[in-house]
Order: sequence, then structure tokens, then C-alpha cells
Amino acid sequence: MAHTFGELVVGGVLVAPFVTYLVAALVVVIALRPLLHVAGLARMFSHDALAQLSLFVTILCLLMLLF
Amino acid sequence: MVATTAQQPFTIARLPASSWTLAVRVWLATILALFVSFWLQLEAPFTAAVTVAILAEPTRGQALDKAAFRLTGTIVGVAASIAITGLFSQARDLILVASAVWLGLCVFSAKLLDGNRAYAAVLSGYTVANIAIQQIDSPQHVFEASVERGAAIAVGIVSIAVVNVLMSAPDGQSRLAVQLAAIHRRVRDYASAALRGEADSATFLALLRDIVGLRPDIASVALESSSGTVVSAAARSAAVSLVAELQVARALNAGEADLEPKASAWKMRELLRGDARVCQDLLALRSVKWPSRLQRAPLYRSVRIAADTAVRAALWFATASTLFVWTGWSAASASLYLVATVAALGVTTPNPRVFTAIALVGAPIAVVLAGILEFILLDGTDAFLLLAIALAPFTIGAALLLPSQSPVWSGLGRINLIAIPTILAPSNPQVYSTRHSFFTSVFIVAAAAVLLAAQMLISPVSYEKQRIQLLAEARGELEPGNRNGETPEEATFRDASRIGQFLSAEGAQDNRAITKMLSCFDRSAMIRLCSAKLTQLVDGPIAPLARQAHEAIVTRDTATLRAVARALRDKASHKNSSEAETAACLVLTSDAIDRDNGLDSSREAT
Repeated sequence: MAHTFGELVVGGVLVAPFVTYLVAALVVVIALRPLLHVAGLARMFSHDALAQLSLFVTILCLLMLLF
Repeated sequence: MVATTAQQPFTIARLPASSWTLAVRVWLATILALFVSFWLQLEAPFTAAVTVAILAEPTRGQALDKAAFRLTGTIVGVAASIAITGLFSQARDLILVASAVWLGLCVFSAKLLDGNRAYAAVLSGYTVANIAIQQIDSPQHVFEASVERGAAIAVGIVSIAVVNVLMSAPDGQSRLAVQLAAIHRRVRDYASAALRGEADSATFLALLRDIVGLRPDIASVALESSSGTVVSAAARSAAVSLVAELQVARALNAGEADLEPKASAWKMRELLRGDARVCQDLLALRSVKWPSRLQRAPLYRSVRIAADTAVRAALWFATASTLFVWTGWSAASASLYLVATVAALGVTTPNPRVFTAIALVGAPIAVVLAGILEFILLDGTDAFLLLAIALAPFTIGAALLLPSQSPVWSGLGRINLIAIPTILAPSNPQVYSTRHSFFTSVFIVAAAAVLLAAQMLISPVSYEKQRIQLLAEARGELEPGNRNGETPEEATFRDASRIGQFLSAEGAQDNRAITKMLSCFDRSAMIRLCSAKLTQLVDGPIAPLARQAHEAIVTRDTATLRAVARALRDKASHKNSSEAETAACLVLTSDAIDRDNGLDSSREAT
């Protein structure tokens, strides 16, 4: 069965579902930041920024898969 | 004998490798932004390329911070554009007046802020000129134009963010830690010189300016990583503690004859306490931990200077609008947008007129370079790969100038980086129109020329006026109390930021005024420290003396202050008791007030 995407319409403008997922993933990553600091993400990886980008992509894909 | 060697940075063509990596990152991000914009079939792909050019910053944190404020500023500007268009639709003159007023309001806000916050404020101002005025003849398209601009900006932001991450753009956090540690060493050297009576005001001012100048960088590391907020808090705390230590070190300067040996001992203890606090904050910064005390780094805000600048910016825009309306060119709205942009961005620099002059010099250079790119190198091609290769020398060349210490070279680099994609206006398929390029070029140069003429007619707030105003405000602070629950250290940092603004207005060359500013700084810092000590004694057995001292501070009655100090010293159980410390502090405060009054009377005598 094909995956259906929820439509978001703001003031008569149809927002692409991908944009909604992008914003949602960004909100999740920002909300996770204090936890990541406590967990010591910066010390776990030699390239902290790349690890965070990978985490963002993972969350984005998970959101698209699950919702 | 110990031989030391300084590590030389790796250079290519006499330019540091960091400049080359920044330039290559900017080029790759520009290509990525254009590619994605073409793929998404956006109306104005050049806006994405211009966003990359604006966000071309040396560290990842600075770029992300500026991106966040660019997005915020655009959203506010778009909302204002829709409101202005809705209110004054079909009324050209009213739209222009409303835009000038809005620009003035945004410039006013920008002058009360610094760094990327100030940039966001001016961006909100000139976004109206871009959207409401560009669409003046078709108000029904304002919302579409806003969405297009927002989408292109988002593409530009994502492009530079991804390229910065993948190409390991430098980390602002480690750089900040190194800078603060270096400043700490210099503050210690200054304190040693002060103990020997060899410290000079020039070193003090240079240190103060360097610490206060780090404020925007400290704010920008917050977005850099998951620990960014913690690093930013630790760095902010370290900067505030450094200013406090520097102030005590200045008070130690034996050049200012200190006849009270107890006061000297107290100052020494305060210096050691201050140094210990700085060490703690720097340790928290290095080990990425919350500092023991969370401190704010408040910025001094001169409402009068902000209002003066805002009125002038609105008048420059109004003058340029009147001229362009009078010429009757239908496409002059593009020039008006550039007038608003250069005028608004100029007020975030120390000298707006110099900024416009650099824009006027840079614009023809960008026009020639864009002409070479469009009609000699590309010359009719429509292949994206060729566009990417042809853009390389121009983008990399302009980006190489960005890290230059000289504001002229850095400004020329930024203008070329922004103007070349604007004039070229890449589209799919590319339109090679000499007429379009000619008119765009004429409007860009005309905008800079008209704005410079307006700034000649209505001068920006002069350095001298700014210095007089800042000095008057410093002297007018009769009760340098703690605003919004500020600690004495935070309030001293705010005063230090005022000295930073004073120095930006060529204050270092005005010896008499800078002496008075420093005298006010010393007096206010001592009064705050003294008030804090007295507050601790208010609930104790010597509360009446503490209250008497407090009233004497308000009335600047130094004789009473010294009498209270003597009484406190008599009551002190031992030399390190809080009574003895407060007595020493009261003596120093009396000295600072007397010195300040001495300056006042010498000024009145001349």
C-alpha cells in the first residue's frame, strides 16, 4: 500500500510534505540538544558536527517512515 | 638561554590556508545552492547564491548564527511588507513613506543591538524595500514574492550549512577558548605592570576593546554543537570576569598614589579573587561544563545615538526615493532596494559614509567582472557544469578577500561576492541579454551614488557627536545602580562596552575625553563594588554605619565616607574581616569620587 502524506495548507498555500518533515526533524534535534550534551556526544565523535548532521538525517528518515 | 619559535601558518600565494578553504567552501556552497534552486525551479536562484555570499563566515557557528538571524529578519520583514502593502495599496507615495519609517525603526533597533542581531534588525528593514517596493505595481504578488524569497534563502542556508559540516569548517569554540586564554595572559601581564606602576591606559583600552569585541563571537558559538549553549555561557562568564579583573588591576596601578596600605592589600586580594574566577571560567570553557556562576554580558545602549541614526537613515531613503520618483524610471525600484540595503547595512559599521563609498567603488568592479563572466567566459552556454567552473575564479577570488584585516578589502570582497550573482542572475535557461545586464549595472551604481549624495547632504552622526553623547551619558549616571538585578561585574561589563563604542568613534585620539570616560568607569565600578559590600552589612550590628555610607555614596560626600571607613576599621575584629574590607573599599571609592570631581573642577576651570 502506498504511503500517504498529510497535507499542510497555510493561508491557501500548500506546503510540500517534505518541508513539514524537515521542520519537524529540526525541532526534534533542537529538543534533543540538552540530552546530547549530557550524553557527551561531542566527546564520543571526532567530528561532532558530522555526527549531528547524521542524527538529523536519521530522524528525518524515521519521521518520513513512521508518520 | 631559551629560544622560542612562533609557528608560522601554512600559506598558499602568501594567503593563509584557512582563507583558501573558506573561499573553496563558499564556491561549493554557491554551486550547491544554484543547483538545488534550479532543481526546485525557484523564480530567483540568485537569492540563494546571495544568501551563501552573506553567510560566508570563517567558522561554522558564525554562519549558523547569522543564518538563524537572516531567517528571523526575513520573516519579520515579510510580515511588515504584507502589512504595508495591505494598508497603502495603490498609494505609491504612502508606501514609500511607510517604508522609510519602517527602515528608521529597524535601524533604531539595530543600533541598540550588536553582531548578527543588529544584522537581523536591518534585514527586516530592507526586506520591505525588496518585497513591497519591488512589487509596488502588482501588490497581489507580494505574498508569492515573499514565499519565493523565503524558499531561496532556506536553500542558501541549507547549502552553506551542509558544505561547512562536510568540509570541516573551523570550530568557533576552540578558537574562542584560545583567544580568551591569550587575553587572560595579557591581563596578568598588565596587572604585573600595574604593580610596578608601569601600566598605561593604552594597554588597558586595547584589552578592554578586545574582550568586549568578543561578545558577538561568544553568542554565535551557541548554535555550533550540542554543547554550544554551555560553551557560550562559560565564555560569557569568562569575558565578564576578565573585565572585572582588568578593572581591579587598573586600580592597582601604583601610578595613582595610594597612601592607604590597607586599601592596597584589599585591592591585591580582590585581584587574586578575580583571577581565580577567570581561571574557573576558563577551565569550565575548556572542559565544556557550566560555569559556577552564570553571568550575562550586557551591552550598553545609547537611545539618543540610535534615534539620531534612525532619523538619518529614514531621511536618506526618503531623499533617494524622491529623486527616483522624480526621474520617473519604472525600474528604479531595484535601485531603491539597493539604497535601503546599503544604507541599512552601513549603520551597523562605524562609518556609514565610508561603507557607501566602498560600495560605490566595488559596484563598477563587480559590473566589469560580471560582464566578463557573462559575455566572455559563458557567452551563450547553458550547461550547469560550465557555469560552476566559470564562477570559480570570481567567487573564490572575492571570498579570499573576506578575512582581510582591512575593512576596505574585506568590504570589496563581500560586495563582489554578492553583486556578481545578482548582476549575472543565473536562471534556467540562462538569458544572455546585454540590455538587462546594462540596466541592472546602471541601477546598482546609481543606487550607491545617490545614497552617497544623500549622505553628503544629511551627514551620518559624527564621531565627535557620538563621543560627546557617550561621555555625557557616562557622567550623567548619578546612581550607577544595578539594572535588572545585574551583578556589579555585569554592570562593569556594560560600562566596558560603552568604552568600546567610544573607541569605535575614534575615541582613542581624544585624550581628554578618554581620560574622563575612564574616570567615570573607575568611579562607577568602585561604587558598585562598595554598594555590594555595604548591602552585606545592612542586616548586621553595624547597620546604621552601612546606611550612612550608602547615603554618602548617593550624595558623593567623600568626607562622610572616610569617617565611616575610620569607624568601621575601629570596629573590625581583624584585618581580613568584612568590616575591614568594606572600610578599605570605602576609602578607594572616596578616592575615585574625588578624582572624578577633580576632573570636573579642572574642566570647569578651563
